[in-house]
Amino acid sequence: MHVSPQVCSALTPSHHLSLSDVERLKGLLSQPFTDLASAYYSIVGLSKLGAAVADENDACQFLKAQLDPMSVDSLFFAAEASQAIADCEVSISNETRDILLAAVSEDSTVTQIFRAVSALSSLGLPLASQEVVAALVARIAKEDNVLAITTALQTATRLSQQAELGGILEEIEDLAARLDDLGGVYLQFEEGLEATALFVTAAYTLSDHADTEPPLKEDQVIQLVNSVFSKKSWDSRSEAFSVACAAAALSSNRFHVPVIVSTQGPATVSHSQPILHLLVTDILSNPLASANLLVESAQAVASKSVVLSQAPFSLRDGIFELNFMASQPASGYYQFTVAVTGDSRLVANQVELKVKVSTEVAVTNMDLSVVDKDQSIGTKTSRVDYPFKAKGSFTADSHQNFAMNFQLVDANTGVELTPHQTFVRFHNQKTGQEVVFVAEPDSKNLYKFELDTAERKSEFDSMSGTYVLHLIVGDATLENPILWNVADVVLKFLDEEAPAAIQSKTLYMPKPDIQHLFREPEKKPPTVVSNTFTALVLSPFLLLLILWFKLGANISNFSLSPSSVLFHVGHACMLGLMYVYWTHLNMFQTLKYLAIIGSLTFLAGNRMLAQKAVKRYGQSSTLTFFTRRTCEN
Amino acid sequence: MSNSVISVISRFLEEYTTKTSNKLKVVDAYLFYILLTGALQFLYCLLVGTFPFNSFLAGFISCVGAFILGVCLRIQINPDNKGDFLSISQERAFADFLLAHTVLHLVVINFIG
Repeated sequence: MHVSPQVCSALTPSHHLSLSDVERLKGLLSQPFTDLASAYYSIVGLSKLGAAVADENDACQFLKAQLDPMSVDSLFFAAEASQAIADCEVSISNETRDILLAAVSEDSTVTQIFRAVSALSSLGLPLASQEVVAALVARIAKEDNVLAITTALQTATRLSQQAELGGILEEIEDLAARLDDLGGVYLQFEEGLEATALFVTAAYTLSDHADTEPPLKEDQVIQLVNSVFSKKSWDSRSEAFSVACAAAALSSNRFHVPVIVSTQGPATVSHSQPILHLLVTDILSNPLASANLLVESAQAVASKSVVLSQAPFSLRDGIFELNFMASQPASGYYQFTVAVTGDSRLVANQVELKVKVSTEVAVTNMDLSVVDKDQSIGTKTSRVDYPFKAKGSFTADSHQNFAMNFQLVDANTGVELTPHQTFVRFHNQKTGQEVVFVAEPDSKNLYKFELDTAERKSEFDSMSGTYVLHLIVGDATLENPILWNVADVVLKFLDEEAPAAIQSKTLYMPKPDIQHLFREPEKKPPTVVSNTFTALVLSPFLLLLILWFKLGANISNFSLSPSSVLFHVGHACMLGLMYVYWTHLNMFQTLKYLAIIGSLTFLAGNRMLAQKAVKRYGQSSTLTFFTRRTCEN
Repeated sequence: MSNSVISVISRFLEEYTTKTSNKLKVVDAYLFYILLTGALQFLYCLLVGTFPFNSFLAGFISCVGAFILGVCLRIQINPDNKGDFLSISQERAFADFLLAHTVLHLVVINFIG
């Protein structure tokens, strides 16, 4: 009753479980189990994947032996596992039922309620669904974490459909809002892979049970698929179990079935293999029962022209086939948009694929000629057919050009091709030199190559001699790359030097050492000159002393008062400090000493100068001085 | 023409030797000494080259600075200029001279390298 419109989602699954992944998952689950929990994971997990344990009877016996009828967990594991095995019954008693029913209450954890309810349902014992719903709602309010709510959802799948499951169904949407979006590709809980996988299982199982479409958008479903199936080796049995349950839920629920479209082998067609094979499967790599594949459009990547539109695939042995070569596509890459129809549940059913059409190339009309530069002598052209070599050798000296013209065509259709690699290689057998040029097509797709002997002599190191000529043609869309020894060419260069050693050999030898040149100190003048000028510069001091002597400057007025002595000593110290600063100290130390000496000198000097001033004023106008003093009083 | 120049110069010298006080002549001798030292340093730089440049600059600036400070001292202690420097006594001028020289020497020694 639910028709989901065929909305094309831009996202397609980037991860799913291939057949080898499924085998690996089954292998992990098939490992021998040691306790009831691991037995439960293995048995039920394998049954979800459509497989079974190795020895079912053994497993059943194990379950019966390990069962502890007093423990709810033990009863849960045994009951669930035994349901998965055919003809395996676990014995129960009235006590069992009482224990299980007692566990269904507001005081037990959600996990306990889930296990009790599941065990009751698997053992075929009656239970009151409404009471369970009430207990679950109460517990969800108390335990508001992802795992608890997921477990509550799982519990609801075991209740009768008449119970009021609406409140619990709403939890799916609330939980989905808690998922983390990683780059638009992955959607998962921060609790990890197991929590996400269990959520997927619970959501779809409950939606099926309540016949209500889960509130997950198509893009979200694909992102969940990517998250759950990106991990290909699992850490624990419980993780593997959760992945198996999620895979089963996503491949067989009533609402959303993600579809995987993949190519069988490389996506290449050619004349020898004209058919494109595609596989359409669910995420467990099981082929979808009722699916039809349709090419909506096939567009050439280079020319953007649409080659095919609305063409159906035909189904053969579970593989979809289309003869693409029948549309006679030119070689190159094509962007296919395919759509899977036939089931309204399909999600991500529009897929884009890149298909390569390859072909074979043929070289035609290969003409080699030696052209004279001034064109006074007629050109000599010889035709060579692939794969043969030209009969004679061609000689070109500095007055002539060597020319090559050819065409590259598609061997099947005769259409002209321009492959990515068209090289002309000259190889000197004696010296090992190899020079490669590119041949370019003109506007009419005719390939031309011309070697101007004089102009190109630097590439050849002016080594005259016989060069073997090869044509190399290659491309991603060519099935037969070509390496063709076309001819021998004798080249004559002017200014031939003596055969130098081959470049490549010296390229990897140790290079000569580089000596570091330190900055050369500036040229100093000879010591004689410096000494002369030092003496010269100091000589005016002598002149000064003489002048002062002549003027009669003397120190007769020198008073031996303590401040005077201190001042002169201090001043001398300061000058000495300057010298020491020049030779030993830095600015900070100097300033420190200067501060100490300077303050002492200043105080002493102040005192001394004041005394001198008093003496001087006293001599000139004592009266004025005393008059001023009395006025101040 | 040269006659008048020579007469001006001889007149100047005569006035100088008679009119200026001894104290000022002492300072003038000091200034002359500084001038000579600076000139000789500059001559060396011209003749031999500027290596090392920072040392030349330090020495030359030292001479120039000392000359300027000497000129300031001379102006301030000249009794004819007393009117312009009422608040600055001779001792004060000398103290200023010493302080400025301390700073000058600090900078010069820092730069001399």
